[in-house]
Amino acid sequence: MNDSQPQDSAPRKARFREWVEPEIEVLLRVAQSITANRADAEDLVQETLLRAYRAVDRFDGRHPRAWLLTILRHTNANMHRRQRPGTIGDWELIRAAQPAFGRSELPSAEDSFVDQRLHEDLAAAIRALDPRFRAALILVDVHDLSYGETAAIMGVPVGTVMSRLSRARQRVRTSLRSSSLVRGGLS
Amino acid sequence: MTGTLRQMLTCHWSARRIQRYLDADPAAPLTPGEISRLEGHLATCARCTRVVAEHRTLHRALSLWSGGMDVDPGSVQRIRDFLTTINDEDHA
Repeated sequence: MNDSQPQDSAPRKARFREWVEPEIEVLLRVAQSITANRADAEDLVQETLLRAYRAVDRFDGRHPRAWLLTILRHTNANMHRRQRPGTIGDWELIRAAQPAFGRSELPSAEDSFVDQRLHEDLAAAIRALDPRFRAALILVDVHDLSYGETAAIMGVPVGTVMSRLSRARQRVRTSLRSSSLVRGGLS
Repeated sequence: MTGTLRQMLTCHWSARRIQRYLDADPAAPLTPGEISRLEGHLATCARCTRVVAEHRTLHRALSLWSGGMDVDPGSVQRIRDFLTTINDEDHA
């Protein structure tokens, strides 16, 4: 820290760093899902951090991840609106799931089987979902976000996330019952 | 007949809680009593046990996708640098 800073600025900056640093990877992962592009994801996260910094004095420090993800959602909506009039659909949250099929390192032969046999059926089942349900499934099951964090990103109550997640999982399970999920002998 | 009806009702009760049980999300916890009752039912109900297994398999399959969505360490570093820049420029 620079000694020339105002005296009350250093603690604020320290708190901001403390809240943001642990969340950088989560922010980038979610941003990649939204933008489907690493460069765009970095731009989105940078813009999000700028807005967060401007708003930091109004933040009480509770649940920084949810706070940052909420800002990221609003930032993305604003950036998207600037580029293309109209509203952003939840499908935007999902597009990036596709490149994930190209993962190069698999933990085990069993995982490899699941990855190879399931991914096409899984992708088809997920594509068939209503975009709102699809977003909940991807954010919770792919990104391992909590209900609260997912609610923050989607801008809906936690109960709505749970409901959408339940429906999404049910529909995907039903869709996969006649395919790889059962054939794989894992159920 | 009564036993079958009771079983169906318990399956219905369980089906409404399996997601919360598996996710164990702090926003929607089950009570210890609910957990105990659900686990007791799963110990005897093949159908609900299969549903739990399918949930776990699906979650695992979806988790594998995230392997291809790993964050580039270079991106992380650039964001860290940007964070430093924000702090440095704030008082400029």
